[in-house]
Amino acid sequence: MSFLRIEGLSINLGEFHLQDISLHLEKGDYLTVIGPTGAGKTILLESIIGFWSPDTGHIVLEDRDITEELPERRRIGIVYQDYALLPHFTVFKNIAYGLRKKEKNGLEARVRDMAASLNIDHLLHRKPATLSGGEQQRVALARALIVEPKLLLMDEPLSALDPQTRRETRSLLKEAIARQGTTVIHITHDMKDAWSLANKVAIFRQGRLLQFGTLDEVFTRPKTEFIADFVGATILVGQVVEHTDGLSTIAVDSFRLVSLDPAQPGSEVKVAIRPEDIIVTKTYPRDISAHNILPARLEGIIRQGSTCVLELGVNDTRLSVLVANNAIERLNLVSGDDLYAIIKSTNVRIV
Amino acid sequence: MKNVNIFKLSCILISLFITLLLLFAIVSLFLVPDLKDVWHNLFSDEMRFSLKLSIMTGLVSTALVMIFSLPIGYTLSRFDFMGKGFVKTIIDLPVAFPELVLGLCLLLLFGNTWVGRLFSAVGLDFVFTKKGIVIAQFFTALPYASRIMKSTFDYIDPRMEFVSRSLGYSQFETFLNISLPMAKNGILASTVIAFARCIGTFGTVLILAGGTYMRTEVLPITLYLNISYGNMGMALTSGIVLMVVSFLAIYVFEKAEVGL
Repeated sequence: MSFLRIEGLSINLGEFHLQDISLHLEKGDYLTVIGPTGAGKTILLESIIGFWSPDTGHIVLEDRDITEELPERRRIGIVYQDYALLPHFTVFKNIAYGLRKKEKNGLEARVRDMAASLNIDHLLHRKPATLSGGEQQRVALARALIVEPKLLLMDEPLSALDPQTRRETRSLLKEAIARQGTTVIHITHDMKDAWSLANKVAIFRQGRLLQFGTLDEVFTRPKTEFIADFVGATILVGQVVEHTDGLSTIAVDSFRLVSLDPAQPGSEVKVAIRPEDIIVTKTYPRDISAHNILPARLEGIIRQGSTCVLELGVNDTRLSVLVANNAIERLNLVSGDDLYAIIKSTNVRIV
Repeated sequence: MKNVNIFKLSCILISLFITLLLLFAIVSLFLVPDLKDVWHNLFSDEMRFSLKLSIMTGLVSTALVMIFSLPIGYTLSRFDFMGKGFVKTIIDLPVAFPELVLGLCLLLLFGNTWVGRLFSAVGLDFVFTKKGIVIAQFFTALPYASRIMKSTFDYIDPRMEFVSRSLGYSQFETFLNISLPMAKNGILASTVIAFARCIGTFGTVLILAGGTYMRTEVLPITLYLNISYGNMGMALTSGIVLMVVSFLAIYVFEKAEVGL
């Protein structure tokens, strides 16, 4: 049996709602929940922890139905985006707060250990209001982890931090979670959180669970165009022309794509291509193992930090390509250039 | 001067005019009477009785008001239940109710109904007694205190309480550990306003407890009785005492920095 089972969970709070949510997690799983604002992600966490009582459905933790159990008995921890530290307590008392309820023996040593592992041991005497965002979030994390919750819920824990602090906090978070082997559900809108922390992903929209699966499944095989857009993949619709030698050929628009995924000839399929899986070149590549070489026109260059998105037009079809910034200078790329887009058949995924 | 904004200027002038008028009214309370007279009146038997009774009843009423307005404010801020809107309206009603009418309603309730007899049976007679003063002050001040407590709890992020419960504390423990300490400014403000309201209650006290000389005579009653006899000195003295209490209350309230 799964460690956490959510079955047919529905709840309506007027402004926010969840409809028929079912998902299973194993012990030690790290699930990131992704979705636009108003998707019901926070309601999901607050239902699991017991602050809202669902209209229908069950939440089963370690084979015990906890749907109607009081929040204080569930042993589920929570970390919020705005930290929710207790302003009238010092950092030490904040971290010790939950532990004090459980056991007082060795309290001080355990608080110091936990604080040291998150690099906040020098802040123990301070009040939360005097700390930076990153420090406050580490205090909130320490407070949640020190009671060794069965399940840790995090609602955009890194979103309020600047990029540098976010990276540091993310790696500290990763270490702390790995050390305790905690099962985690983490709401985020930053794909990097999913890439670097999670092994499972759930995509929510308007109170519904659109797709749930392993990181690889969801990012490389988005089920709908919405998810593809959200996770940054391009979805193309095409007709399967043939399937021979383990390769499927799909006619899309005015060109053909070869995929390693099996497909029924004659059927209509959707294929997903991730922007980082496309290579561009100015000259036609000869003697190359990749199956798909598409002549394309460079229609736009969007710079975003250290990377760049190239917008390619293959006849009437648009493809996004992710490249490092210096590729623009190296290849001397300008809008209107004629290029070739190279895609391996393993990266053309039928969804 | 160019670009004179007539509208802005008029608004400011109107505000200044009323402020000045009020200020003169307040100042005249201190300027008209002979200060030696006031000092003398302050130690008269009647004034000492009235002041003592006002403070005693005011303290008891304020304590009762706070005991009730904490859970009422918390309920209105945090919990949803059937008839919540109705409860809120009825508790707030005395704010808009004329004090005299409220007093009349309480007089009828505690006079000759089964509720009144029930309280009488356990020794709580409210009609024309000192206990009646407390009840009159309690119902007059309760809506103000409950409102302040509700808005205080509204400002406290319920997620603080969520976190506390997720760490193993019950709802009641969380209320004691988190909600109460975080509400301390609001509690202070609400206590001060409740006390000022209690001390100043006139109409409700007059009808329910009766304005009996040296028996149920609190400061506003002293003011009223002495105005009736034409004894301006005593009336002004009780006015000044009431005014000082109000000023102290507003000062503490502002210090507590809680908006309504």
